[in-house]
Amino acid sequence: MVDWNLAAKIAGGGFGMVFLILAILALLVWLTHLGVNRFAKGSSDSEEKERH
Amino acid sequence: MFGLLESGFQHFYWGNALMLVIGGVFIYLAIAKKMEPLLLIPIGFSILLVNLPLGGMMDYQLKVRAPEAGNVLEVQMNEGDRFKEGDIICQLDSGEVLTPVFGRIDEIKVSPGQRVEAGDAIASIITMQQTDQSKVPTEPIGLLSRIFKFGIMWQVLPPLMFLCLGALTDFGPMLANPKTLLLGAAAQFGVYFAFFMALLFGFTLPEACSIGIIGGAEGPTTIYVTSILAPQIIGATAVACYSYMALVPIILPPVIKLLTTKKERAIYMKPQLREVLKLEKILFPLITTIVVILIVPFSAPLMGCFMVGNLFRECGVTDRLSNTAQTAFVDMLTIFLTLSIGATMPAENFLQSKTLLILVLGVVAFATAAAAGVVLAKIMNLFSKEKINPMIGAAGVSAVPMSARVVQVMGQKENPRNFLLMHAMGPNVAGAIGAAIAGGVFLGIVK
Repeated sequence: MVDWNLAAKIAGGGFGMVFLILAILALLVWLTHLGVNRFAKGSSDSEEKERH
Repeated sequence: MFGLLESGFQHFYWGNALMLVIGGVFIYLAIAKKMEPLLLIPIGFSILLVNLPLGGMMDYQLKVRAPEAGNVLEVQMNEGDRFKEGDIICQLDSGEVLTPVFGRIDEIKVSPGQRVEAGDAIASIITMQQTDQSKVPTEPIGLLSRIFKFGIMWQVLPPLMFLCLGALTDFGPMLANPKTLLLGAAAQFGVYFAFFMALLFGFTLPEACSIGIIGGAEGPTTIYVTSILAPQIIGATAVACYSYMALVPIILPPVIKLLTTKKERAIYMKPQLREVLKLEKILFPLITTIVVILIVPFSAPLMGCFMVGNLFRECGVTDRLSNTAQTAFVDMLTIFLTLSIGATMPAENFLQSKTLLILVLGVVAFATAAAAGVVLAKIMNLFSKEKINPMIGAAGVSAVPMSARVVQVMGQKENPRNFLLMHAMGPNVAGAIGAAIAGGVFLGIVK
């Protein structure tokens, strides 16, 4: 006999968990992009200043 | 032959003949139609090997023991006899001794009138059936059964395969457009839909999880999860997964056409994605490993290997490791993995109504996964200024890179200016991550 309550929890909770984790990753990827870009820009600016 | 050599003919039956035809079809599709030859050739050949009786490539030995003490009244089988699961080996005065699997008798260890104690060996039998080792422990004695046990049942080959996939995967398109991670997530709906359907059709909870994960369209994930939760159906789930990955060009287009209009399919997307810096590519596997494994620890073997393989590729100082993982190592693993998968398909194992049902549910899983990706892409278009072509949502069905290629071909047909391949690679690789997480979630809850 299938425990449909448990099955619904596994399916709903499981799908929700996968979606949440990938959404968190998407956010972290975006934040990393911002951080890395700022860092790269900052270091290239300081290199240019040194040249001048 | 002259009473000295037992040939396979006397054990050959129509089921073996049918499986030889199926193996032949796999080999034909691989050679004549160029459909996933690296997978279908070894799987097809392995099917031939295990359906030639007495070859012994996938044999396991098992001792059947007396459940209770008693006197042997009658022995109903002889050495070499074939039997089905649940047949009677011998009659004790305390009850019957039944066969726990299908197979053939190797040696009968008792005779009528003999007294046996509980746990004494009644017979040694040979089987090709995958069993739950905690209930029916078997010892591999064939070449392929040894590879299968120590490679797959010990969960060694699938994570290592993930390492190679990591080394082969460029996450650049996904990092350039992180929204595509959501499309990969949406496609995992197929996993949970198929899981529910499997329960409706009477499969047990662990079997339903193993069938559901076919929707992740990742062979190693499917094999890994099934080997832990439901080894008795590993042949059917693995074959369903790998066959449907080859059939993605047939499964995806009708689903996409059903859910999109011609105008939507022709939506133009700029071919150029933003440049992704090397540091971003190095940080991604590190961040993903920490976040995912902290939340879903059971995904560690797959996710850890996937990401370390990707770090080999991106860090720039382990080119030798990356090259090996992308070439020789992945080829060796493919040989072991695919030969083992085909070996799980002896006729007695495979020709069951259950197998047919698993194959049908596998298609359902793939189709609903693609549908969910397309639907989410359409929903995202409602809220975003820059429209995305909803077809790239269907590439969330992992099957890297086949589903992305299908989207590219369909996109070009609808709008020749469109180059959707790189856009579709985003959800495609996100789907691989999503499938590994979904597998880990199943294991975490059900194991």
